[in-house]
Amino acid sequence: MPNESGKVSGLTILSPIIDDDKAIPSHDLQIRRYLAGLPTDEESPFALAPGTHLARLVVMDDVIYVGMPACEEHLKSKYLVFESNCDGDLEGYLRGLAANVPDYLDAIWSHCVGYPGAANVAAFVDYMKACQIETTFYFAAVNDKSVPETLRALRTQRAVADFVASHQGMEPARVQREFAQLVAALKTQPIPKAGSMGPRRDIKTGGRNE
Amino acid sequence: MSKLNETDIQGFTLRGYNLPVARYIFLEFTDAERARELIRRLLGEITTGQQWDGGKPESTVNIAFTHRGLAALELPDATLLSFPVEFQQGMRKRADILGDTGRNDPVRWDPVWLDGRVHAWLGVNAKSAEALEARCAQMLALTRETGGATLRGSQDAAAAVVDGAQTTKEHFGFTDGFGNPDYLGVTRSSQPGQGKLMKDGSWAPLATGELLLGYADEAGELPVAPVPHLLASNGTFMVYRKLHQNLATFRAYLEEQAARYGGGKEKLAAKFIGRWRDGTPVELSPDRADSSIAQDPAQSTNFKFGADLEGTRCPIGAHIRRVHPRDAFGFNGKLIDRRRITRRGLPYGRFAAESETVSDSDDRGVIFMALNADISRQFEFVQQQWIEYGNDAHLGNDKDILMGNHGGHGKFVVQGDPTATNPPLICSRLPNFVELRGGDYFFLPSITALGMIALGLVDPR
Repeated sequence: MPNESGKVSGLTILSPIIDDDKAIPSHDLQIRRYLAGLPTDEESPFALAPGTHLARLVVMDDVIYVGMPACEEHLKSKYLVFESNCDGDLEGYLRGLAANVPDYLDAIWSHCVGYPGAANVAAFVDYMKACQIETTFYFAAVNDKSVPETLRALRTQRAVADFVASHQGMEPARVQREFAQLVAALKTQPIPKAGSMGPRRDIKTGGRNE
Repeated sequence: MSKLNETDIQGFTLRGYNLPVARYIFLEFTDAERARELIRRLLGEITTGQQWDGGKPESTVNIAFTHRGLAALELPDATLLSFPVEFQQGMRKRADILGDTGRNDPVRWDPVWLDGRVHAWLGVNAKSAEALEARCAQMLALTRETGGATLRGSQDAAAAVVDGAQTTKEHFGFTDGFGNPDYLGVTRSSQPGQGKLMKDGSWAPLATGELLLGYADEAGELPVAPVPHLLASNGTFMVYRKLHQNLATFRAYLEEQAARYGGGKEKLAAKFIGRWRDGTPVELSPDRADSSIAQDPAQSTNFKFGADLEGTRCPIGAHIRRVHPRDAFGFNGKLIDRRRITRRGLPYGRFAAESETVSDSDDRGVIFMALNADISRQFEFVQQQWIEYGNDAHLGNDKDILMGNHGGHGKFVVQGDPTATNPPLICSRLPNFVELRGGDYFFLPSITALGMIALGLVDPR
């Protein structure tokens, strides 16, 4: 079923970018410059707001003409593409973005045609839905778990692996006692911050090793 | 696919010579015209891929160039710029991608690699030390006579001598050199398990273009190659890496972990690598080394991992399973057919028996040379994704136990079952068993291409 996969929603949005000859630099360039400076770790807006597994923002200038025998075609507008795999229903997710990171949203989408601003939540949600197209493919690693479940599972996996490594050959009663302590500690610890568990990396422009 | 022209392809590209001693000579070209004259004089010396009807020669000579070397030979800019990016950059600039950081950082490499003046690799293999000395002296005399190159350094390597006999062992004590792939059109005494896996379970040669430029690869594409076509065709790229082996660390770590392992030390060593020290594949014989398997060409490389997805026979992270996963990733092995490399090379330094005291600072290791049509897609992918990262094998961030740049972190999991002699074990705080001491990326051209270079006839138009 498009747009939903188990507990996860897929969101694909195409927002037309404002075409204004008087804007210097043009709005698409302003979006690109802003996106290039966004943090990708736990300070990312998609980590600060809840529910994002994966998000991608792309400025799509046009379809590229590759020469004969293809026919030359062009888009009517430049578009901002927003793709996201998120928890729960779409409306709740969009409201979460508007509530937590309105300044980021406005900084990005204010370059798009008809954007009402995140302060007016109902209008924001309507706008995003109006720009939505169907999502049929999902990030394979989501596994129908929520973001908090995934973060907790990652930490548990690491902690249990470390526990096993450091308790091999130990007397069983002690292993059991310390394992119970580990389980109790894991239960009481807060969920790790989104974006905090991956390796540090800069924004990359492509998939090749260059 | 018609038969390859073996007289046009360097012998080193087509086959491992299995000669016991070698010297790799590193040259710098200081004058393009004289350097071309040197190559012209060397042309008759280069060993081709022709079959040796009269037995092996006393010695062989092969040549390869770095991108800087080709520039020093004054190849046209339009040709130089048409080489793949990674070759133009050279291995040192690829350090971040390859995980050559920390103890493997280029600042710690042998000095010969630090000033960017290695232009050519001259590989001499020989039957005996005498033959090697004689041929090398002859080569160096040629460089002096022509004034075509200066010697930047050289590296000796030799088959490990164990109890007075030449072997194919490496310094950690494992028999090496089993797994090179077969390629369409390359004449070779092949054995099952060396090519690509077919739907019916048989093995077939890989497409020629996985090794040689100018031929279709496994995707039916021509590998990225320089212009003109004639310069590239029948050539290949070579990755040269000097890998120092910390033998004392390896032995101590194996002892320490084996003390906690119910299967015993030799079994644990075999679990690390995926082969027992005599070469017996763990997948075929999980409980004991079996020379009848190791020495049988019908068996020694003829195995799959698909029936052992849990890794209770051969661990999922065992070295040979990581670098050649066969069918372990599903899809009948199709995901790996464009990630294969051909290995050449020999150990360097004296082989130390188990009874001998050793130190990590002893000069011993292996000269690893990999041949492939596309360094980025083949060698670099294997190094980056399968050695320095574990995601494809579902091993998270775990690195290859043997080759990984662990820096005292990471882990290796021996999957097990409830039997007392095959228990699970997690080895953590992994040291670097192997350290990189330098190397570079080389272009190993055809005989025709060497002639074009020598005569200044490389024309990119």
